Amino acid sequence: MSSALARDLAAIVGERHVSEARAERFTYAMDGLPTHRRVPDLVVLPGTREELIAVVRLLAALGVPFVPRGAGTGLSGGALADQGTVLLVLTRLNRILQIDNANRRAVVEPGVVNAKLGAAAKPHGLQYAPDPSSQTACTVGGNVAENAGGPHCLKYGVTANHVLALEVLLADGSVVELGSPGGEPWGPDLVGLFVGSEGNFGIATKITVRLTPLPRAIRTLLADFTSIRAAGEAVTTIIASGIVPAALEMMDQSCICAVEDSVYAAGYPRDAAAILLAEIDGRNVDGVVAETEAVTEMLRKSGARSVRSAATEVERERLWQGRKKAFGAMGRLSRDLVVQDAVVPRSALPHVLETICTIAQNYGLVVSNVFHAGDGNLHPNISFDATDPALKQRVEAASAEIMQLCIDAGGTITGEHGVGIDKLRYMHLIFDAESLGAMQAVRRVFDPRELVNPGKVVPIHACREWTSIRNAKFGMRNDTTGFNSAFPIPHSAVEVTR
Amino acid sequence: MTEGRLGFEGLDACVHCGFCLQACPTFLATGDESDSPRGRIELMRALERGDLAVTDPALIYHLDRCLGCRACEPVCPSGVQYGHGLEAARARITAARGTTLLTRAAVWALTTPGVSGVVYWFARRLRSVLPRGIAGWGRIRFALGMLVATKGDRGRDEAVNGGRRRATPTASHRPVPPRTAQLFRGCVQEGLFSHVHEATKRTLSVNGYETREVPGQRCCGALHAHAGLLDEARVLARANIQAFGDGDEPIVVNSAGCGALMKEYGHLLGEERGTRFGTRVRDVTELLAGDGKGPVAGAPLDLHVAYDPPCHLLHAQRIGAEPLKLFAAIPLLQLVPVQGAAECCGSAGLFTLLEPEMSRAVLETKLEHLRHAAPQIVASGNPGCLMQLGAGLAAAGIHAAVRHPVELLDDSYRVAGRYE
Repeated sequence: MSSALARDLAAIVGERHVSEARAERFTYAMDGLPTHRRVPDLVVLPGTREELIAVVRLLAALGVPFVPRGAGTGLSGGALADQGTVLLVLTRLNRILQIDNANRRAVVEPGVVNAKLGAAAKPHGLQYAPDPSSQTACTVGGNVAENAGGPHCLKYGVTANHVLALEVLLADGSVVELGSPGGEPWGPDLVGLFVGSEGNFGIATKITVRLTPLPRAIRTLLADFTSIRAAGEAVTTIIASGIVPAALEMMDQSCICAVEDSVYAAGYPRDAAAILLAEIDGRNVDGVVAETEAVTEMLRKSGARSVRSAATEVERERLWQGRKKAFGAMGRLSRDLVVQDAVVPRSALPHVLETICTIAQNYGLVVSNVFHAGDGNLHPNISFDATDPALKQRVEAASAEIMQLCIDAGGTITGEHGVGIDKLRYMHLIFDAESLGAMQAVRRVFDPRELVNPGKVVPIHACREWTSIRNAKFGMRNDTTGFNSAFPIPHSAVEVTR
Repeated sequence: MTEGRLGFEGLDACVHCGFCLQACPTFLATGDESDSPRGRIELMRALERGDLAVTDPALIYHLDRCLGCRACEPVCPSGVQYGHGLEAARARITAARGTTLLTRAAVWALTTPGVSGVVYWFARRLRSVLPRGIAGWGRIRFALGMLVATKGDRGRDEAVNGGRRRATPTASHRPVPPRTAQLFRGCVQEGLFSHVHEATKRTLSVNGYETREVPGQRCCGALHAHAGLLDEARVLARANIQAFGDGDEPIVVNSAGCGALMKEYGHLLGEERGTRFGTRVRDVTELLAGDGKGPVAGAPLDLHVAYDPPCHLLHAQRIGAEPLKLFAAIPLLQLVPVQGAAECCGSAGLFTLLEPEMSRAVLETKLEHLRHAAPQIVASGNPGCLMQLGAGLAAAGIHAAVRHPVELLDDSYRVAGRYE
């Protein structure tokens, strides 16, 4: 990449906000899943929306591909930029533009940290409900790109359920508004389409989110089990009862011990095979108390050795911090780590969890499970030492086997971490070539030249297969214009500026 | 020091989760991963692997810009030993490029026996004639502002007169047989903050400790260690271990930066002697807080105080609750909450002189929060922080004085008549 481009970019954002040096680019080579490493050619950190737009227009004019990145806490390699690609880091766009407590919504820039939005909403008796475990570091822009989940999404819904409107900068530098802060806009749900598009459709420059009232009553239960199967069965029982806990999380022994060794030690029993964290919340204290009693009873009947309720807000916070920092504590087990993100039907949890243990044993690996049990969203963490190439191969084989297990159980390959580059290899297991081609076609509606975050989500080779099938079937030319005329940009995507 | 990897092994536990990012003052100032703990760990790993040369200008630039505040350590779920890694990396860089002239000059002037005595004498003469308004944002005026901030008695009149005098003590002296503690004097602390040593001795005596002077003690070596001059730091560490002897008495330190390094002499020297010495080192607030009961109560001081915990006390030594017990022992004194109090002020030893741009950027955030909190006194237990905050407050036109927490307790005891 030419240093002339670096100079032009520096003219927009200032010299110190363009990183060209190899050492600086090294620090952006990974996100939260360091098994993937790509060194970007250039890193740009715009400080305002206007700078960001100017940067994208310059890159679009030159036809240079680019990748947006928030805090780099993603777990699928989605924010990595290949050679020949510019990384746009949005951490400086971190202003909360509005907290509108009367209408229960907030407008933020993409680089606002999730937990800081929550803290700003709290004095108004409101919360931003989606709470990914990395919420103290991750950005709302990244949450939108990945349709982030979190423990409390079991009851409150994932990011997509909390985004009302978006201002989106498309890859050609034009700005469009999607959705409406006031309610349902006319036409198809373009906000829903954009949320979770993993940076393939453009960059959200302003995000209007829904704020929800803080619950008046909260009860947090810690139940411990002597077998993973019993814990899994407890989850199935609770969900089947019709009660919707605010959160229902599971951790196995290996995770428990890593957390208990850390500064986030929460008092989880180290000798438990698994623990469940269950939270019941609501506006009505009596109702919450009644449901808590019912859940406690179900946990006991499912074989919980003990069930205790957090007595104070401090204790509750400790129980949650332990859970939320568990991923970061995995470094205590070994220096390298891969985390999987698969979803299975909740009824399949006991069987799948046991089989994961068997797979780990067969490969001689340490697998630690910490996950959103209530959603059936699994996160097996495999610890290993990447300096041993043979071990690395075993880890990859075990990962693939776990993924196949989840798919066979009626599940899918990602719950909340996204596909990025990490799960490209699994996409063909759940989508046929035609479906993948359709995804790519939708992407081209927003970004015909595939400039923004290229090479992610849809495995291109599989797409090409589809393209050739289509050409054989319909006798069409192998170009992209045919796609676009079939998917015109909808009317509600109002262009604001160009 | 650990054989072989010299501290880099402390970085192995990093799994790149990014939970440290928002704890890092320099990342908060720039939003740049290269200015974050996680990014710097990548730089240090690449340095150890040999993927980046020890002379790489961008590597040096971003490691130099690290405050070394270690705020990333207590939030790290995997317990990454960032401080040890940084020290190892800086030692390598220093070995290759040498020490910059400014660093060398500053360390020489502030810590060399004989030389520093003259420097501090001159500095004390200078500060006695300088007005507070001299503080400004340029290098020279900020440095002068830092010097003015070391005047011990400026806030005292306000504090004592603002409080209600009581003729009789509010509680009896703690009924324990007197124990002894050895006082560590340090260099900057001795040269410019000897009034804090006096306050330390007086407040400890009220709480059952007689302090003993230790001849032959030297600078703790923290300024050297942070500048990558590990061998010089080791020489000083050995001299101090020699001077303080083999007894069991606690070694009382009232400068958080010194205390943090002295507690880690074992790591620095890789010797059992150092580890044993480290277990004897106590911050003055630890001794005063006693067994959790807190110090003997003093007379009321009608003050609004913002406590700014020094990074080397809170993050490096993990001492958070003890200083608060000092304030709790002063009736009427009100602690005002300050947003981001646990974040660094940008002082970080010589950092404020060597990296003024980043230092001021970090300080700016701190001053914004302090302006909002509007305290009369900002209390902090480290000379660098007091100077940085004092200069910053004066330059920003915020009317708050800076004091060491033991000075406030000392005032409270004086008003209570405990020294009569």
